Amino acid sequence: MGGGGFTAEPQNPALDDFILALAGEREPRILFLPTASGDPRAQMAAFRSTFGARACQPTQLSLFRLEGRHHDLRALILEQDIVYVGGGSMRNLLAIWREHGLDEILREAWHTGVVLAGLSAGGMCWFEHGITCSTGLPAPTIGLGFLPGSLSVHYDGQPERRPVYLDAVARGAITAGYGADDGVGLLFEETELVRVVASRPGTHAHRVEPGEDGDAVETTIEPELLAAAPGMRQRDIPEDIREFRAQRHAAARRR
Amino acid sequence: MEAGNALLDEYVLGLTNVARPKVCFLPSASGDADHYIVRFYRAFSASRCEPSHVSLFRRDKGAGLGCDIAEHLLDQDLIYVGGGSVMSLLGVWRAHGLDEVLREAWRRGTVLCGLSAGSLCWFSEAVTAFHGPAQRVPGLGLLPYSNCVHYDGEPGRRDSYHRFLAEGMLPGYAAGDGAALHFCGESLARVVSSRPKASAFWVEEVGGDVSEVALAVGWLGGSRTLTAA
Repeated sequence: MGGGGFTAEPQNPALDDFILALAGEREPRILFLPTASGDPRAQMAAFRSTFGARACQPTQLSLFRLEGRHHDLRALILEQDIVYVGGGSMRNLLAIWREHGLDEILREAWHTGVVLAGLSAGGMCWFEHGITCSTGLPAPTIGLGFLPGSLSVHYDGQPERRPVYLDAVARGAITAGYGADDGVGLLFEETELVRVVASRPGTHAHRVEPGEDGDAVETTIEPELLAAAPGMRQRDIPEDIREFRAQRHAAARRR
Repeated sequence: MEAGNALLDEYVLGLTNVARPKVCFLPSASGDADHYIVRFYRAFSASRCEPSHVSLFRRDKGAGLGCDIAEHLLDQDLIYVGGGSVMSLLGVWRAHGLDEVLREAWRRGTVLCGLSAGSLCWFSEAVTAFHGPAQRVPGLGLLPYSNCVHYDGEPGRRDSYHRFLAEGMLPGYAAGDGAALHFCGESLARVVSSRPKASAFWVEEVGGDVSEVALAVGWLGGSRTLTAA
């Protein structure tokens, strides 16, 4: 996602619901990794309140706080249907994952069919390259490389990234790829782009490739607008069901 | 930064030999947790020192930063590293080149201190028990020993440390909660504590057994003169 989901557009559940539906399970197990922001409590609370009320089994993993729990990281990740990565600093994200061996575990998860999702740094990390603002100014950086090519996010919302991205692609410093506006999601199966979706009208994805004259060429891709009406889904769930789910999730956490 | 106990904070400030030292807090091991940064500014108030912090996660980079991070850190009298995950800490530091900056600060004589992960990071090897079983983690290696923290506070740490030592881990220092190891260069100069009963040990493998030598710990609150008049 170029930006979107509960942390970026809390009133609009379209992209989060889209991700949940990808697992093909009635109640998919979804793990949130807020590593790129340093596991802030507010983001973790937002995940709990957003996904706690939905038809799913949400878990989150902090790589910064012990919280009295001991995890087998590999087992925890491989048992998920979806891994959802939050935004923040792409450079920090990958450095911390490597330190904990999560890069290899996530590669294994991807190969076994776990849906990998994320926004901003959590979207770019899956590609060979991204444009990070981790040290202030936008700069190209290396990702995990599960997906060939590059991704630059917040294409409309943070326009200072675009010239850096175009220049890097034009020079061949990084591989060709995509720019994604806030609210736009790219769906890959294996390594192939199969759908481009959006949570709001007026947003686009952009194919960015090196041109013949030394410039980068941008081709606009019109996304499918996702149907979910902002703010409606949460209210559709009866209060007793939300309460029941909250209790069940609390019990699961205690186990 | 213990609640209601400023003894160790006062001690590290005193090591700088500067009336109003420049103190920079690195909360990287906690993911730059807001509540931790606030606690630092409460403990190290502007009346006593010139406090600042460096954030590697937030765009604002930290308070009081008019220059780049390396320049700022090399200008400090005291660098205070907060607790959290030592593995995440070292990963983020390396990604931003802070490992080299801190090495340089150490060579220049900046006082480096920290608790928990902020202690482990300075040693050649550390015992971490963050996810699952305890494991050995290489640190920055400024101090050529191993280190184990929360030695008395968390069951299992001591056993794991002893097992690692038997398996060839470098000999080193174990510190209980409230105890602080003070090194000058690579040599241990003193062991002090914020609590009367804190403990610290030199731990090494000797002929197949692990030997634990208790170190003399000076309680920093003990020298207070009480006058009842």
